[in-house]
Amino acid sequence: MTAATLTPSPTVRSDARLTFPRILRSEWIKLTSLRSTLWSLGLIVALGVGLSFLVASLGFGMEGASAPDPGAVVTTATIGVSFGQLIAAVLGVLMVTGEYSTGMIRSTLAAVPARLPVLAAKSLVLFLLVSAVGAITMFGSWAATYPVLDAQGLAVGLAEPGLAPALAGAAVYLGLTAVFALGLGTLLRSSAGGIAASLGVILVIPTVLPLLSLAVDWADEVAPYIFSNAGVAMARLPSTESVEESIGQTLLEPGLGGLVVLAWTLVSLTLGAIALRRRDA
Amino acid sequence: MIEARALTKKFGKRTAVDGIDFRVQPGQVTGFLGPNGAGKSTTMRMIAGLDRPTSGEVTVNGRHYREHRAPLREVGILLDAKAVHTGRTAYRHLLAMAATHGIGASRVREVIELAGLESVAHKRVGGFSLGMGQRLGIAAALLGDPATVILDEPVNGLDPEGVRWVRTLVRGLAAEGRTVLLSSHLMSEMAQTADHLIVLGRGRVVADATVDEVIARATGSSVRVRTPDLARLHRTIAAGDVTVTTLDDGAAVVSGLTPTQIGDAAASAGVAIHELVALSGSLEDAYLTLTADDVEYRSAHVTRTPEEVAR
Repeated sequence: MTAATLTPSPTVRSDARLTFPRILRSEWIKLTSLRSTLWSLGLIVALGVGLSFLVASLGFGMEGASAPDPGAVVTTATIGVSFGQLIAAVLGVLMVTGEYSTGMIRSTLAAVPARLPVLAAKSLVLFLLVSAVGAITMFGSWAATYPVLDAQGLAVGLAEPGLAPALAGAAVYLGLTAVFALGLGTLLRSSAGGIAASLGVILVIPTVLPLLSLAVDWADEVAPYIFSNAGVAMARLPSTESVEESIGQTLLEPGLGGLVVLAWTLVSLTLGAIALRRRDA
Repeated sequence: MIEARALTKKFGKRTAVDGIDFRVQPGQVTGFLGPNGAGKSTTMRMIAGLDRPTSGEVTVNGRHYREHRAPLREVGILLDAKAVHTGRTAYRHLLAMAATHGIGASRVREVIELAGLESVAHKRVGGFSLGMGQRLGIAAALLGDPATVILDEPVNGLDPEGVRWVRTLVRGLAAEGRTVLLSSHLMSEMAQTADHLIVLGRGRVVADATVDEVIARATGSSVRVRTPDLARLHRTIAAGDVTVTTLDDGAAVVSGLTPTQIGDAAASAGVAIHELVALSGSLEDAYLTLTADDVEYRSAHVTRTPEEVAR
């Protein structure tokens, strides 16, 4: 109509439009420009490597051992997962609930009104970043404990079958944990609610289930399939004989454990996606 | 161009926007007025696809906002200053928004400069004053060089220099042929900035006309006349809908006739006229008259009746 009189800004090119790679880049800028992200990720590395080094130095889990034990080495190197999963979950929740609490979500959804690409981009960026930091933590922990264990003749190299996949599994578990929490955060839209729900799944269910097994038979059957137990399975060596946990539950094989964690994550993301799509921002 | 057709939004039982129709034309500034709770913000949110209409629809340049491939180039929107993560710097916020459309850092620097935010661009938004937050919100709205600009209360919290900046900016955007929809509770500011007004009351359109028409219709037009022979003038112009009120100082206020009609009548009757002034109310008067019945949150002291307001 009167478009002829418009004076387009030369710095906004005519090919400026939405694409998924651009939304990914936007989410990357958003995630990495918050101090809380840098603190959280730094804490995962520092706590993970620090704890592994401490455990190896004190010889926990390897008392009286005289020959290298790959299983014990994996357990030592991935000990940071216990704290790391909590930090990753909080990071995942805050990635989206921080936008709701500050009102940023309205800017985000006005820029990407289709909405679902935002959740997809957030998931992918978060997964890649947290998994990469997880990998640095796990392989860093293995490297940090190597000299200590080597001095006692207990070190195991990365070429050991199943060792590198177990460390990578722990890293991917952290990445998926963050995305699982992101889905819950998108569903609940509240930081407190999202953190409570995700920590509930990660921490409370594995605590309650053994008690439940005193009352009902199926509790032991489902135990390997709950989120954090399947995560522990991702970070273990594959074995022919099932490894019995100290609390008496059987762990899944690493690959199956990974699929179970992935399934939990996809369910959480789907619930988040439905809520994001349906609700007013 | 923004077009709403039977646009309706219900929150539970409450109807926030009640089947409204309007068009916001390009090339002019359209003011969006209404008391708190009249449905202005909800309507703006529906335009930007943030709220889904219960029924009816609203389109921007012929399409639903959601269907545009480059939403930021179609519509730049300032909904409220608090649509920014407080932990991020202004520069990073704008950079992240721009990145979704492949808009580069040079444009980000351009809007930062335009909004006068250079000195705080690398500070975190959490420490911003209300005015700086508004400037950032306006900068974000302009990122995509949009054909349509929607600003909800843009001068809220701005200093006088900022208020003038927004006025000049908005007039400039309209002069470039863009569609501008602007809401404000500052009537004097709106009277200076807007060409056209859409007034909402309780979710309905109570006026949709140019600023002058809205004022004339709501406050009525009257003419102050000073003459040594009021009685004869009165007889000359007396008719069904003409009223003449005598003021204390001897002047009279005539409503129902234009100054031209009164002057002509006086001339043909040979009545001397010492003063003939067209009176029009202010936009504030007009606004209060229009929305008198629609105010949802009324303060105890504002109890002017339409008659009082019309003077």
